[in-house]
Amino acid sequence: MKRTPNHPPREGQPNIWRSLRELENDPEFAKHLEQEFPRGADVYEDSGLSKRDFLKLMGASMALAGVGLTGCRRPEAHLVPFTKGVEWTIPGKFLYYATSMPCRMGALPLIATTSDGRPIKLEGNPLHPFSTGGTDGFAQAAILDLYDPHRSKIITENGRATDAAAFDSFLKEVSQRGGRGVAFLVEKKNSPTRDRLRVELEQNFPGLIWAEYEPLGDSETEAANDAAFGKGIRLLPKFDRTDVILALDSDFLNPIETGPGYATGFSARRNPDQKGAPMNRLYVVENHYTLTGGMADHRLRCKASEIEAFAIQLARVIVAKTGDGNLASILGAFPDQAAHLDEAWVTECANDLLANPGRSLVLSGPQTPAPVQILVHAINAALGNLGTTLLGLASDAPATAGIDGLAKAISAGAVKTLFIFGGNPAYNAPANLDFPALLKKIPDVVRLGLFEDETSKLSRWHVPAAHFLETWGDAFAFDGTLTTIQPMILPLWGGLSELDILSKLLVGATVEGPELVRATFEKLAPQNLVSEAGNMDLLWNSSLRIGFLPGSGFPQAALDLAVSSASALAARAKPAKDGLELVFLQSSSVDDGRYANNSWLLETPDFVTKLTWDNAVLVSPATAKKLGIKANNFGKFEEIAEKLGNEIDYDLVADIVEISDGKTTVEAAAIVAPGHADDSLSIALGYGRKGVSALMDHVGFDAYPLRSSASPRFTQGVTLKVTGKTYPMAQTQEHRSMEGRDLVREGTIERYKENPAFAQTMGMDGHIPPNISLYTHPSLTSKEQWGMTVDLNTCTGCNACVVACQAENNVPVVGKEQVRKNRDMAWIRIDRYFAGNEAGDPEMLAQTIMCQHCENAPCETVCPVNATVHSEDGLNLMAYNRCIGTRYCANNCPWKVRRFNYFDYNQRPLDQLYWGPLAKKGMADSLKMAKNPNVTVRMRGVMEKCTFCIQRIEEAKIGRLVEAGPTAKSDTPVSTFKVACQQACPNDSIVFGDIADPESRVARLRKSERGYTMFKYINSAPRVTYLTRIRNPNPKMPGAEKVGMANGAPHGAHGAHGGDTTHGTHNPTEAHEH
Amino acid sequence: MANFFPKWTNWIPLKLVICLAVIGAFLVGGIWYYFTPKYTRVGFMPTQPVPFSHALHVEQLGMDCRYCHSFVEVASHSNVPSTQTCMACHTQIRATSPKLEAVRESWKTGRPVSWVRIHKLPDYSYFNHAVHVNRGVSCFSCHGAVNTMQTVWQDKPQSMSWCLDCHRAPENFLRPPAEVFNMNWKPAAGENQREMGMKFKEEWEVKPPVTCGGCHR
Repeated sequence: MKRTPNHPPREGQPNIWRSLRELENDPEFAKHLEQEFPRGADVYEDSGLSKRDFLKLMGASMALAGVGLTGCRRPEAHLVPFTKGVEWTIPGKFLYYATSMPCRMGALPLIATTSDGRPIKLEGNPLHPFSTGGTDGFAQAAILDLYDPHRSKIITENGRATDAAAFDSFLKEVSQRGGRGVAFLVEKKNSPTRDRLRVELEQNFPGLIWAEYEPLGDSETEAANDAAFGKGIRLLPKFDRTDVILALDSDFLNPIETGPGYATGFSARRNPDQKGAPMNRLYVVENHYTLTGGMADHRLRCKASEIEAFAIQLARVIVAKTGDGNLASILGAFPDQAAHLDEAWVTECANDLLANPGRSLVLSGPQTPAPVQILVHAINAALGNLGTTLLGLASDAPATAGIDGLAKAISAGAVKTLFIFGGNPAYNAPANLDFPALLKKIPDVVRLGLFEDETSKLSRWHVPAAHFLETWGDAFAFDGTLTTIQPMILPLWGGLSELDILSKLLVGATVEGPELVRATFEKLAPQNLVSEAGNMDLLWNSSLRIGFLPGSGFPQAALDLAVSSASALAARAKPAKDGLELVFLQSSSVDDGRYANNSWLLETPDFVTKLTWDNAVLVSPATAKKLGIKANNFGKFEEIAEKLGNEIDYDLVADIVEISDGKTTVEAAAIVAPGHADDSLSIALGYGRKGVSALMDHVGFDAYPLRSSASPRFTQGVTLKVTGKTYPMAQTQEHRSMEGRDLVREGTIERYKENPAFAQTMGMDGHIPPNISLYTHPSLTSKEQWGMTVDLNTCTGCNACVVACQAENNVPVVGKEQVRKNRDMAWIRIDRYFAGNEAGDPEMLAQTIMCQHCENAPCETVCPVNATVHSEDGLNLMAYNRCIGTRYCANNCPWKVRRFNYFDYNQRPLDQLYWGPLAKKGMADSLKMAKNPNVTVRMRGVMEKCTFCIQRIEEAKIGRLVEAGPTAKSDTPVSTFKVACQQACPNDSIVFGDIADPESRVARLRKSERGYTMFKYINSAPRVTYLTRIRNPNPKMPGAEKVGMANGAPHGAHGAHGGDTTHGTHNPTEAHEH
Repeated sequence: MANFFPKWTNWIPLKLVICLAVIGAFLVGGIWYYFTPKYTRVGFMPTQPVPFSHALHVEQLGMDCRYCHSFVEVASHSNVPSTQTCMACHTQIRATSPKLEAVRESWKTGRPVSWVRIHKLPDYSYFNHAVHVNRGVSCFSCHGAVNTMQTVWQDKPQSMSWCLDCHRAPENFLRPPAEVFNMNWKPAAGENQREMGMKFKEEWEVKPPVTCGGCHR
């Protein structure tokens, strides 16, 4: 009997949804979802040639080609050894070096994998005391920046190519001239060597202006910390001691905002099974959905400009209960305003904080206005958190000017020579400064940059910068650990580093990088460590080897709230205005614009909107309705198809809107974002670059023209007009839908305590026994059996694993047009679900999906050529050279994790994908260097998918055999290794290993009662186990009954299962009747 | 009705069938033989930039494979020696031989010698030397009697089916570990390769992968 699958029918309105259109349950949309590959995928786009026609033609041409093929021989290849052996290098073996990436939040410690002298992969440094091995998407993508063929390669003077000698003589001239009028504008890098050289330079250049500018920096935090606690104090939260956290406009769980390591301890305290401590509870107040908001137990939508009102309201409750005098006097400095936010929410949240004095924590974001941050500090003080959950660190960086100060000096004509290191102020400086005009006033502007960009065009000199993987350097981590930067390769295109230029200005001749850095190191290294190590050489070498100076770090400082200076700063607060606000966000793809040429990042979907290649104005459903922005501009499929011929647009077309602050008007596409605060607009910065380089053109919209230095987080009182124009968007959220079958599971801690295994019987799994497979089970004879667990409780959806996988496995980028056709290639995707029946204020959940390596893999049984088969250690293998591209496997994959190479994405630039077979092929030489030599670069026409990093598995297995030699294999264990996604994860959510070894971590986690496999009832026996998300709501909070109910409320003695799925539709016995 | 076709035409269909069958058989046979790596690759003997003789160095001088191919026991790739390795001896021995001009040139300029590659697997197959030589597979098994070659040629087809011949029955090739680099080794009189191989296979738990993932990643 042919059995139709027993999936539950689509319900009237889904409880868990991925897009608004799904929530509305539009029949047109259902049709869209049913299509595995969008219609027209079998039609050769430009010609209208069907596959059948194509095969006919191909047959004929093959027959013809046969005539001319007879003389073919393989091309001559060469083996080119070194002339002299290179120390440590063994051809074909990787070398690993510790280095770090300088970031504005502090050094990001890394281990670089180099293959024959080329860095090919960056991973977190697990030894580092601060980061403990986590990374973020930006660090993972840095490899592509290094090899980017668009990087600037020559020194130019007034736009004309010149040489290093000319630049050197210019530097010499500046150095000899000395005196006033020299200024530097640099990025924040926390480098002690750079600071040391700067201080020395001040001798030669009296009145030197040293300005640091980071568009997404924490200057507001610095101002607040200085006023509240004294100069140079940094605040380090200790999440391992914290029971209750309130985040105000703070995305602290997002490693790109705070840096990996900042939120260490959070995920451990999120574990419902931990011994001796309760699971922590997270309250979030924010205007748009962030990763942290998605993790929250209680979330309040609140305009960014009203975060201040929230903090004031909270402070009032706390003052009323504690009578804290300091808090009361700082609160008194704020302009009076009536409480108008959800009173019950604020009160219960305050009560929870007050119930946990010294074990609670209130956090604010880096660009939150300083007065609000002052109030947050005072609240923490009143709650007794200073010194317990919030530590003070005394950093001793010399004071710097801001870009405002520099602009003032330039206007006054006090700057004759300006050095701009990195950054891109002509593009991203606050609009009120009109920086491009200021640059024109300076006779000599020297620009050191990775790319020739807007600022380069306005500079006399443009000098190609060396990438951080090409230079010596150092940087403090956020906690002050001295972290080293070693070059992995010589500058590919002769770039210079900041230290090179500073040292040339200083002494006239270049002192090599290591000496400069070492001199600082010797100054900073404490004597006891030197004598412990033996001598300075040994300490230096061992520090380079592990990547940091052990035991270094800023000294702890007592946190004493300076009430008077804090109140003075607080008095600068202004109450929020009514009307629309525009909030400026950090882009998950381009940061502040610096990664605008990085295609890996551009194609990685945003955490929340799942937009690729663009940014957009985010607006809440209610506000969109009010303003007349259409939520879903799809139109009818047939109409679109007719209009566009074969170029069918299945994906989003967004309205273009005009946003104006009265002086400046900016155009941008707008999309409706569930969970966004009303009367608020958000837009990511860093897009909309024009005329800079190929990749950056026509990518997103520039919001910098609306941003002022007075209020970097938001602009109030903007107006919005819908233009009637539309803009195509590439959004991956609807790709590869799995039809809402309780794939992502969650519950509350209460439910978990009642029945820890509640998730295992959710949805279909509670109703029907697994199918019986017709096919023979693969013989899993190997001693090692690989498996993985993903902890949904700690996975925030931060994208680090997605980019890490791309770097490790040579995953190509396909471009916006291809993404719109559902052809993105990422082997890992992060499914973002909204839960709840309200589009305005849903819950958000993230689920990382990669190939599940099913034991009874549905893909294997349909492959006509055995290109996908099972290995004896439980891997679902893909033999690319066997694949003929039928795509049956992808059709039969319940997880939709298989990716097809529709074009030669590796060999063709994105704008030439459709060129004919005889057109020029090949990738830029520098990009070839970035490829992992242990992973096949796939060609057009083959299927690919996650391999569980088989290259790492095989390397470990081979390593064991080499070690075993002529002895019994089983006497030598396989050494431990991590797969790429696991290594990159800052929260340790992904665990990989041998599930056959009962002692292994993955085997223990698989047995966890929280563990479930998706689609258990189809009995494909996946090797990936998900650990259910547990939420910890406060029962007294308003809306607490809705928290943790994504899969519906538990009901009856029957056990828990998803929602009200009708029992009658699936007969349990039917499963056995084949 | 008159006969339009003469009688001999009755044989045309049969003759055609036989003819086509013969042509078909030749075609299949031809492709079977001439298109396989056994024909296209075995015997490939390009002229190298330096007329290096393995016969001289190994057979006459008794050098070990690993003097030049120094990383074969630790790396996937069996390295071709650097110019430095050649010059270790040839600064003293035959320091002016015209045959070594290319090596001296490389030493002087720092530009490496570009040897012509003979054994080349497709990019999607990942062969690992270290695991083979450490587990009793001799150089000889894949490269033939290189020790006797004046100029190296490809001796074995190195096709997938050829690889699998051994991966399915390694006992036919496994050697005592000490003899892996001994190119002249033969089982002693009275010893049977198969029996000895079986013993090693069991003792060392040799189980070469025969699934795709063993070589294709």
